[in-house]
Amino acid sequence: MRKYIDILTRRNTRQGAWGFPLLVFLGICVWLSFNTARFATIENAENLIAQAMPLIIVAIGQMLVVLVGGLDLSVGAVISFTTAILSLDAPTIVLLPVVFVLAALVGLMNGLVVTRCNVHPIIATLAMQYMLLGATRLIRPVSGGEIPQLVLDSVSGEFFGIPFPVFWGIVVVLIAWKLLYRSRYGLHLFAIGGGMASGQTDAAHNFGIAVRRNIVLAYVGSACFATIAGIFLAGRITSGDPNVGLLFELDSITAVALGGTQLSGGVGSLQGTVIGALVLALMSNGMNLVNLSPFVQTVVKGGILLIVVGLQSRKKMGL
Amino acid sequence: MSKIQLQTLVQRVLRIPPSYLVFISLFLILWLTRPQMLNLNILGVFLRQVAPLGILVLGQLLVMRVKSIDLSGGGVILLVNYYISSGMFPGASLPAFIFLAVATGFIVGMFNGWMIAKRRVSAVIVTLAVSIILIGMVQFLSSGSPPGNVPTFLRDIYNTRTGVMPNPVIFWAFLTLIMSLFLSLSVYGRFVTSVGESAEAAHFSGVPVERTVIVAHTMAGVIAGIAGLVQTASIAVGSVRIGLDLPILAVAATILGGVAFGRGEGGVWGPFFGVLSFSLLFVVLTIYGVGEPGKLVVQGVIILLAAVFYGIRSKS
Amino acid sequence: MTIIVEMHGISKAFGHNQVLNSVSFSLNSGSVHALMGENGAGKSTLMKILAGVHQPDAGQVKINGQKVNLLSPRDALDSGISTVFQEHSLLPNLSIAENMFLGREPLTRTGAIDYDAMIRDTRRALDELGLDLDPTRLVSTLTIGERQFVEIAHGIEADASVMILDEPTAALNAADVEVLNTSIRKLCERGKAVVYISHRMEEIFNICDTVTVLKDGKLVGEQAISDLTPNVLIEMMVGRELTSLFPARSTMAGEVVLELKDIQLTENARPLSLTLHRGEIVALAGLEGQGQQKLSRALIGQHALFSGQIRVKGVILELPFSGITGIRRTQKLGLGFVPEDRKEEGLFLELPILHNIVIGLHSRRAAIALVRKYRPVVADIMQSMNVKAPNANARVRSLSGGNQQKVLLGRYLAAKTDILVIEEPTRGVDIGAKSEIYRLLREFTEQGGAILVLSRETLELIGLSDRLYVVHENTIVAEMLAIEATEHSILNAALKTDKKAHYA
Repeated sequence: MRKYIDILTRRNTRQGAWGFPLLVFLGICVWLSFNTARFATIENAENLIAQAMPLIIVAIGQMLVVLVGGLDLSVGAVISFTTAILSLDAPTIVLLPVVFVLAALVGLMNGLVVTRCNVHPIIATLAMQYMLLGATRLIRPVSGGEIPQLVLDSVSGEFFGIPFPVFWGIVVVLIAWKLLYRSRYGLHLFAIGGGMASGQTDAAHNFGIAVRRNIVLAYVGSACFATIAGIFLAGRITSGDPNVGLLFELDSITAVALGGTQLSGGVGSLQGTVIGALVLALMSNGMNLVNLSPFVQTVVKGGILLIVVGLQSRKKMGL
Repeated sequence: MSKIQLQTLVQRVLRIPPSYLVFISLFLILWLTRPQMLNLNILGVFLRQVAPLGILVLGQLLVMRVKSIDLSGGGVILLVNYYISSGMFPGASLPAFIFLAVATGFIVGMFNGWMIAKRRVSAVIVTLAVSIILIGMVQFLSSGSPPGNVPTFLRDIYNTRTGVMPNPVIFWAFLTLIMSLFLSLSVYGRFVTSVGESAEAAHFSGVPVERTVIVAHTMAGVIAGIAGLVQTASIAVGSVRIGLDLPILAVAATILGGVAFGRGEGGVWGPFFGVLSFSLLFVVLTIYGVGEPGKLVVQGVIILLAAVFYGIRSKS
Repeated sequence: MTIIVEMHGISKAFGHNQVLNSVSFSLNSGSVHALMGENGAGKSTLMKILAGVHQPDAGQVKINGQKVNLLSPRDALDSGISTVFQEHSLLPNLSIAENMFLGREPLTRTGAIDYDAMIRDTRRALDELGLDLDPTRLVSTLTIGERQFVEIAHGIEADASVMILDEPTAALNAADVEVLNTSIRKLCERGKAVVYISHRMEEIFNICDTVTVLKDGKLVGEQAISDLTPNVLIEMMVGRELTSLFPARSTMAGEVVLELKDIQLTENARPLSLTLHRGEIVALAGLEGQGQQKLSRALIGQHALFSGQIRVKGVILELPFSGITGIRRTQKLGLGFVPEDRKEEGLFLELPILHNIVIGLHSRRAAIALVRKYRPVVADIMQSMNVKAPNANARVRSLSGGNQQKVLLGRYLAAKTDILVIEEPTRGVDIGAKSEIYRLLREFTEQGGAILVLSRETLELIGLSDRLYVVHENTIVAEMLAIEATEHSILNAALKTDKKAHYA
């Protein structure tokens, strides 16, 4: 018994406790399939995957930043901004590279402000959130415009019976897996975060790791993943929407924390983050199925965030 | 001038809270381009608009002095607004509303403080989560539509003046004065300074660190409740969106006023001028026809510049 | 024997503090070179320059005759210099193998990290030290001793030609010290050079062949160990007869002010008892990390005792006793705690001297009380302690180490504390200020105070205190009068129990 509890809480690994949210996930699935008629249907499963996908993608990006002890509050604004850009009247071949370049610039600026100007990540990314929200509303004050056909097609077709969103998921998770677990960069992220969490701020640097550059790259990664989620969402809602990214920053942080990633850095896992995002999406899906008001859903999500983060212990007090 | 003299001069200048400089420049811009705007009657109206923000800043600067942050003010303001405008408490008098607002703020602030100081949860996460929970609650209770009318007696108080100055502005200035005296004259003020500089050292010199942080958050909550009252009085009809961006603006004004996380050089008056700067900024932006999106961008830029200013300074 | 490292005319200052003043140092292959000096003499800084952590203001470093610029620890490692620092430098959330290869991970042909190769090579390096550790274990699960060996293995794996060991035995028990000595000798046989920093004379004479002595940031000299005796070496380090630094001991001992009875520091530790009288300075001596700090921190609730009773001036402190409010409790009883890490735990560096002293007085008052200025109190303290600062508004960061320490002590004197628990009274303090601080502490006890002190420098404890307790394996194993104690007798008392334990 003890052994299983240890596996669930994962105290001595750097994967974080992702076993517990997995249990929650399975539990909710079982409960919903017994208690609602519509849950265990192919249609609902497809729905669920499409609903969960943007959050999974954003949360993976958010996790890169959280692993180095930061937070990115600008991801939601990046999503809205991406849909607004995509809804502009320009050739697809121009729009797609442009959103990535812009996202990379956003991440670069976040990262540079944090690492070079000694600004707290929350403040830096919050300022970025405001600037991006403003820019988005300048481009598209209200929802509208048309999204390139290529984007529309890429999210709502299927291939041998497997819906396209599944492929999005597979590709994104594969990229992230390679990045985190097979590349030097991934290991260095864990090293930097581990040093931060244990107060050995110079340790990673002393091993010859380019700490600042890697942190900047984490913010660039976060923004790029957010823009991928933005492209996906643009395809789903078929227009540019200045409000579509609302609350994504909080949801992604909740998903990351729910998946066992420590907000102080250095501990976390890809599978945990994906599961965390799935749990959140599943809860929305379930709450929709039982006709709960969207406002109550907000309250529940806020409560979950408080509980998961409240259960993480850290030494530092304050921000 | 020798290099060292130059260095100390630069350090001196960097020590002045940016809000004073921003305020003076905005004032000059107004004075040069629209001198007719600079009369007390008109300015009073503008100042009255930012009074809720100015009051909220008092709580924000307190928690930021102890290296924390409070983003839950939006939720508290919205909830207070809902109490008053929904007719939830029919026939309630002013003291009853004041009590409700203060009690709500007290409970929310104390919860924030407990989570942050005892459970050591990230302050951003706690207060953001609390805020969205409160907002979700209000939206659920009012089913997403504006609740109802604000009692006229609140509106009437809001419109009173002493001389040319609207009373809400005087109330704000009065609260600021009290906060300023409280922080400079009480032992608690020294605790705040100590915790902000180093929580470790504060602990070892016998300062009750956790209690100091909890009290700061509780006070910030109460202040948010009061800001909610003033904000509600400023509108005729209840709203489900009112005051949501105030916490962020409060953070911005506080940083602009020279109070960064843990550092309090700007005191209480630096952030006060930060709010005044925002007030003038909105006037200037409106004059130049900058719309809502432009204002968001400008807010972001100001937060960023003020933070970068402090970040670079504390590094050197 | 060839010269591997030559450091010439190295100077380094931190702010106004000149830490190294034109120091030269050279290292031969196959030699174990001791670097000696008091705390603050500059030996750590000199080694950190060689390790690439700090860059010198002046002077040059040559490795194998080539002038090098060591801009980071990575540069140093690439030049064949590996360091085992006193403070932990391994990352706890990474495995042994990952730590070993961090920053220079081998890659497979597809560009992925080659974990198989990493684990294989790590196992080989660990085997060489005779360690049976799983390379995939996380460093956070290792003991401090094991971490030290992993760091040494890191140097072996990187094929470093110079190994800097900064107090490697501080946290090791006797058996591990033997293992360490064996591996050091093996390294030398292979022509590597080892720099050995330690406070323990016995070890120095046991394993080193050459010694370089620093004092106040200047080179005193380099000699073969065989030409020296411990006493001569100490005199080189201190620059005068050590005894002249310390004030006369006291003869009076008043009533008991602090009494520990049947204290178990941890679940498995043997119970200990301790008494402290008015007018007395009592020291906790022993090898590093044997529980001295647990004991001192237990008095303010920072370490949770397993069982026992603490009595301060007759008042019993009930257990468990909170780490959050404990310090305020003991402070009310007149017990002040001076933490080891002056800069992190002790002082508010960016705040004025005034605030730093007065906070001790304010912290025992109600939060809503009006502040008092206490200017005369502070002026008094600054004068009587001879704090060198322009005025009470000077920021503490701008003061020298000695004056910072005086300000910290001043906080407790101003608050009329009469029992002081002091960790490391003179860390990073120059010699002049040291003797002043010793005098202040003695004056404090002569006026009826009592002091419990711990320090890494055993000689300091012997010179300063009246009575010593030797702490080993979380309990007190011996008590002796300072006047009769020697470094040797303390070490013996500590290690005797080790042997007993091994043969029992």
